[in-house]
Amino acid sequence: MNSTMSMKKMEKITSIIKFLILLIFGVVLMAPFIWMVSVGFDRTANISMPFPPRLIPEEPSKFNYGIVFENGRLIKSYINSTIVTVSSVILGVSASLLAGYAFSKGKFKGKKILFIVVLCTLMIPMEPRLIPLYTLFNKMNLLNTYYPLVLPSIISGMLIFLCKQFFDQLPDTLREAAQIDGAGEFKIFFRVYLPLAGPIAATMVILAFIWSWNDFMWPLVVLNDLELQTVPLYLASFSLENGSSLGGLTMALATVSILPIIILYLFLQRYIIQSIALSGVKGE
Amino acid sequence: MPNNSMDAANTATQSVNTNTHTESKTMKQKKRNSQWTWYIFLIPSFLGILLFMVYPIAESLRLSFFKSNGTIETFTGLANFRTVLTSGPFWNSVWNTFYIGIFQIIITIPLGFIFATLINSVSKGKNFFKVLYFLPNVTSIVAAAMIFQFVLHPEMGILNYILGSLGLPTPGWFSDPATSKWGVILLAVWHWIGFVIIICLANLQAISSEMYEAAKIDGASGIQQWLFITIPNMTGTFAFLLITGWIGALQRFNEVYVVGGPNGSPARSIQTMGAFIYERGFTGFEFGIASAATYIMFIIILIFTFINLKVSKMKI
Repeated sequence: MNSTMSMKKMEKITSIIKFLILLIFGVVLMAPFIWMVSVGFDRTANISMPFPPRLIPEEPSKFNYGIVFENGRLIKSYINSTIVTVSSVILGVSASLLAGYAFSKGKFKGKKILFIVVLCTLMIPMEPRLIPLYTLFNKMNLLNTYYPLVLPSIISGMLIFLCKQFFDQLPDTLREAAQIDGAGEFKIFFRVYLPLAGPIAATMVILAFIWSWNDFMWPLVVLNDLELQTVPLYLASFSLENGSSLGGLTMALATVSILPIIILYLFLQRYIIQSIALSGVKGE
Repeated sequence: MPNNSMDAANTATQSVNTNTHTESKTMKQKKRNSQWTWYIFLIPSFLGILLFMVYPIAESLRLSFFKSNGTIETFTGLANFRTVLTSGPFWNSVWNTFYIGIFQIIITIPLGFIFATLINSVSKGKNFFKVLYFLPNVTSIVAAAMIFQFVLHPEMGILNYILGSLGLPTPGWFSDPATSKWGVILLAVWHWIGFVIIICLANLQAISSEMYEAAKIDGASGIQQWLFITIPNMTGTFAFLLITGWIGALQRFNEVYVVGGPNGSPARSIQTMGAFIYERGFTGFEFGIASAATYIMFIIILIFTFINLKVSKMKI
């Protein structure tokens, strides 16, 4: 009796200790964000970074944010990023839904090999493709337009893979019933399976959105026009121009730049975490 | 991997049942539906693969045998490869890439796994911690690099302030070639750990609870269960993280570009392979040399992935 009591007490204590460790490390992970927001709201940080570092701004003000928005380049880059991201997501998700469905329910020659090709694209980095893609779009006279940023997102091995996994779980009986009613493959896809694909489509949209919004290397190569800069490009150019001066402005800019992703994440975290977990759990 | 084997088995038997039931009924109809419709479903994706994957990879190989700036081309055979392979800055970039990658991986995977088991074992706040720990991973690495330049600032940074007030040495981080790689490693660990935790958590939850119950009856302590049940069951997960981690690490570019520009300053100490290629290709317009370097990098990635697969005994 006594021993089980103390066992329970011990369990409670270790559980509290675990909770505290997690909380402390969580605060450490969040510290850069917390500091970023604090410095961004610090009026004096614009001239020189506050030292010693403080958690609460001495002179709280929206001054830095005012400058960031007045400049106009941030808003322009936001518009550019939005156009590019939305088009990329629509293109990538629709192509992947079609391909994923075919790989799951289709019966055709070369299915296995074609699917291996798709999986291989996962292993191919951007670097070996950088120069030929650049010259390709150059020849087509499409540098400094949105096209080179949008068109290549039509392929995503990861999205096709996730999509196939999802359709694999839906029963074939639905197909067979529709076939008996005389429906063709396209009708079956659009009328029967696509309406059931809501959860995986949401996951794909979120993943494609985050990838496209955060993309950096490829836009850096194809966009020289400042008018077309996406958010990460504007950030990087601001950072390279100003180095470690202008702390308050840099932090205000960083805060505004990650806001859409943070908001999206906080609202849809369940789906995002689930989809990331899915990509690792079923990565066989 | 031993994950979700129950689920997979269930759906497998289900589909077998339904298949055998209806096989004979729909045989004729299936044959009537000719195969070609399926290829239409694949057209968008495979047009993309041909144009944006196959073509550039082949073209890049061709370019690597030419001296080219995009307009004027002259065939030079293996000269580009010789140039790259005897170039000090290239091997320096390989060294930097591997150095940052190795420490990122040997710090993040064990640490992430420990935190995942902690999160898995607390009764309250599981979801809160998941959301909190994964947050750095969704924010762009470009913004993160910008923030870290201030967090790790030698004089005004918050980290050195804390280190200084504890009486510890305060390194120069990104301003000193001797420590700049460690600045990138800290950033990489911070950015990647959430991903490792989420993947570990998902797989921890897939380990059957019967094993733990059996061990408990045999009198195994919590730590014993962790050592002899949890860790052996996670080897597939570790292999997955090792391979995806290395593929990501070998392609590192964004954060080192933001912090150190295309030549990875200070003193090329953080120039990665990706940055070397960018520097030669898009600031020097030496397309042939950059292409040869991408192929060498590509081969390094392939060899390394193959070794990783062998070491971790993972089956694709």
